[in-house]
Amino acid sequence: MILHIDMDAFFASIEQAVNPRLKGKPLIVGSRENKLHTVVCAASYEAKTLGISSGMPTKEAFQLCPNLEFVPAQQAKYIWTSEQIFGMLKAYSFRLNYASIDEFQLDIIDDPNPGMLAKNIQQRIHSEFNITASIGIAKNCILSKLGSKLNKPNGITIITEANLKSILAKTPVEELCGVGQKSGAELHGLGIKTCLDLYQKNARFLEQNLGKWGLNLYLSLHSSERFDGLEEEQKPKSIGHSYTLTRASETPGFIQAWIRLLSEMVASRLRQQNLVANTVHLWLNGPQIGNFGAQKTYSQATDDGYEICHRCLRIMARTGPKTPKIRALGVTCGNLSFSQNLPLFREQKRREELLKTVDKLNNRYGDGCIYPAIINLAKKE
Amino acid sequence: MGHSGFNPKARWDRHIPLENDSYDPQNLNQRIEVLAWFKNAKIYPRMFSWKNKIYKIKKVTYNWQERQGQETISCFSVTTGIDLYQISFNNTSLSWQIDKIIE
Repeated sequence: MILHIDMDAFFASIEQAVNPRLKGKPLIVGSRENKLHTVVCAASYEAKTLGISSGMPTKEAFQLCPNLEFVPAQQAKYIWTSEQIFGMLKAYSFRLNYASIDEFQLDIIDDPNPGMLAKNIQQRIHSEFNITASIGIAKNCILSKLGSKLNKPNGITIITEANLKSILAKTPVEELCGVGQKSGAELHGLGIKTCLDLYQKNARFLEQNLGKWGLNLYLSLHSSERFDGLEEEQKPKSIGHSYTLTRASETPGFIQAWIRLLSEMVASRLRQQNLVANTVHLWLNGPQIGNFGAQKTYSQATDDGYEICHRCLRIMARTGPKTPKIRALGVTCGNLSFSQNLPLFREQKRREELLKTVDKLNNRYGDGCIYPAIINLAKKE
Repeated sequence: MGHSGFNPKARWDRHIPLENDSYDPQNLNQRIEVLAWFKNAKIYPRMFSWKNKIYKIKKVTYNWQERQGQETISCFSVTTGIDLYQISFNNTSLSWQIDKIIE
């Protein structure tokens, strides 16, 4: 059995705990200080009832509710709370998975009283952090995650063999993790409207109509294995960073500075985990180009921000317009392997020494204390 | 027991430069004197003096820690019953500061 913990409106709840004046009020947490030029990172339940959701531009949110309370996100606060909850869950001595900043999964094997365990976890989280969590318990990860969404906030849903079909029959298929608007429409086209419709389809039908994704969906729904084959100390499949600019820009220096900054952030995380990447993926969004994403795989793996940036710039040259207007951009490195190559040439050795020194300084004095000069251009537009 | 998956230390906001370097009255960052209990590896601030005025802390509404390189900063949102403040303790330099007045 998997017990899935999903924190309720995590960032917004923490801000309400910090500032009791905000309790019971519609509140949004914005990703930037400027409350009209950012997006909603998290919304309190009071704001959600007004139709405000994560990812919405704050301008739109304020149009829906002019009296909305606004707090700029303070990542450190949320990360620390998440780490503390993770630490607290470790004490339960079950295998534990850190699914995301506000989601945790416990493999509770065959705990005799999962309901009591869930209640105990909820109470401990509330007493220590003054925030709430919803919990789903089911035979596998996908169903337990679904369960955690069904009775929010502060709810517990236990999906057993006895109530499985009745719960799935009441749940639209879009509620399932991994089913979005587009895939939901595809499922509707096949006559699959509820989670039960999907659950009752056989593997062959899903594979034939939806390909590998359909088969994976079938396997995830019907499995009862522990943590879906999760491995200890697995290496990530990809590492990426993206950013939405305050307004669309076509200044080449400014765009390049942002690509360099995101490349340095990705490279620093690669080096932290002793990884190198063969594939670089660049994602751009702008009024002329829409969503542009392209990647290239190189035989020479790298963990150097300068190199990643230049690979991105070569990909960017394929967008069409020479200086496209860019609103958002992202850099992702994939095809990762553990770094094993030793530098052969003097210039390579010098470069590696430089990166080691930069990492040392950033570890000692805080990330971003030293960075390539071009990044200064990212501050000016 | 084993664990795996998401790494919270991979923060996306660490390197992003500030959009505005000008003085922000919401970011005071001024040194203050604090009377606090240190008990069982936890810190309980009780009162602080700022600009020659003593502020008695009625309640610590939330506390968390931040890392800046090798330094750990313990942050507290505290209420005097009238206003809400964010104060912090640098665990390396052993100094306190008032970060901001929370609206």
